[in-house]
Amino acid sequence: MYLVREAIVAELDKKLYGELGELARYIESTMGKLRHMESPMMATATQIPQASEHLSDLTRLTEEGTHAVMELTEEIQGNRARAVTVLNELAEALARVGLDAARVKLDTVKQMLADDDKHLLDIMTALSFQDLVGQRIKKIVAILEDVEHKLLEMIVVFGLKQEGGQAVHDGKATEMLKQLEASRSTALKQDLVNNILDEFGFN
Amino acid sequence: MPADPNMKIMVVDDMSTMRRIVKNILKQLGFANLDEAENGQEALAKLKADKFGFVVSDWNMPVMSGIELLRAIRADGDLKDIPVLMVTAEAQKENIVEAAQAGVSNYVVKPFTAETLQEKMNKIFK
Repeated sequence: MYLVREAIVAELDKKLYGELGELARYIESTMGKLRHMESPMMATATQIPQASEHLSDLTRLTEEGTHAVMELTEEIQGNRARAVTVLNELAEALARVGLDAARVKLDTVKQMLADDDKHLLDIMTALSFQDLVGQRIKKIVAILEDVEHKLLEMIVVFGLKQEGGQAVHDGKATEMLKQLEASRSTALKQDLVNNILDEFGFN
Repeated sequence: MPADPNMKIMVVDDMSTMRRIVKNILKQLGFANLDEAENGQEALAKLKADKFGFVVSDWNMPVMSGIELLRAIRADGDLKDIPVLMVTAEAQKENIVEAAQAGVSNYVVKPFTAETLQEKMNKIFK
């Protein structure tokens, strides 16, 4: 009876050791996979704020462009309103001296101006695309911030540390971010371009 | 009662381009007495400080949203009768129901045309 029990315990121990060994190998393999994830996770966590910043830049750029178009549109609207006032005065003067045929022509011009006023108003309202784009970009930036936060949480939870304290930045995202960063500094104003050209004997 | 062309109108939106568009349309419709605010809180302070006849407000804004502004207006004894038009990209049924329950005067979905704004104003001020 005692021997049989010993044999059963020995068998169970063997099975338990086997399962523990399998579990240890699985943990080792998982840790290995996590170590492989270190670099891309660290890189992504640092790239997300940069990408968000570029998206916010996009809102600012479209806002500036939209205001420039609005400025010109409002200027044209103002000029046209003043032109209509002058035309009305002219029409009254023509009517006083009996030049009704000329007054009718002026009415045609006024109608054409009114039609174009409608088009100018349509241009203004069409520019509301900037507001819609801006709102969507804000939401995307909020999503990116959330993803960044979760990535950082994972890095902390798994105790991931990049050797040398630097994340390895490679791949398409890094290249695109480099190009975006470069476009900030290379978007020179014409005055600056002229100064550089002057140094090389242009102008 | 038809809209008074001299009434002061408050345009509330966090996007400067949208404020400019709404103000431009209102000017073309004959309303020149306009003011603006970039969130509900700023708008509420201005509404309390002066006499306004109409409010055009966005929904999604930082600090104080359009729906919060609407509720604050309806809860204020001096402001409660000011017509409020929501001009917003929020077009979900629950948004419209929420605004209606909070006492909105009408609702315009972005992007919109000058004709839509005029039509809604005509309905509010008939």
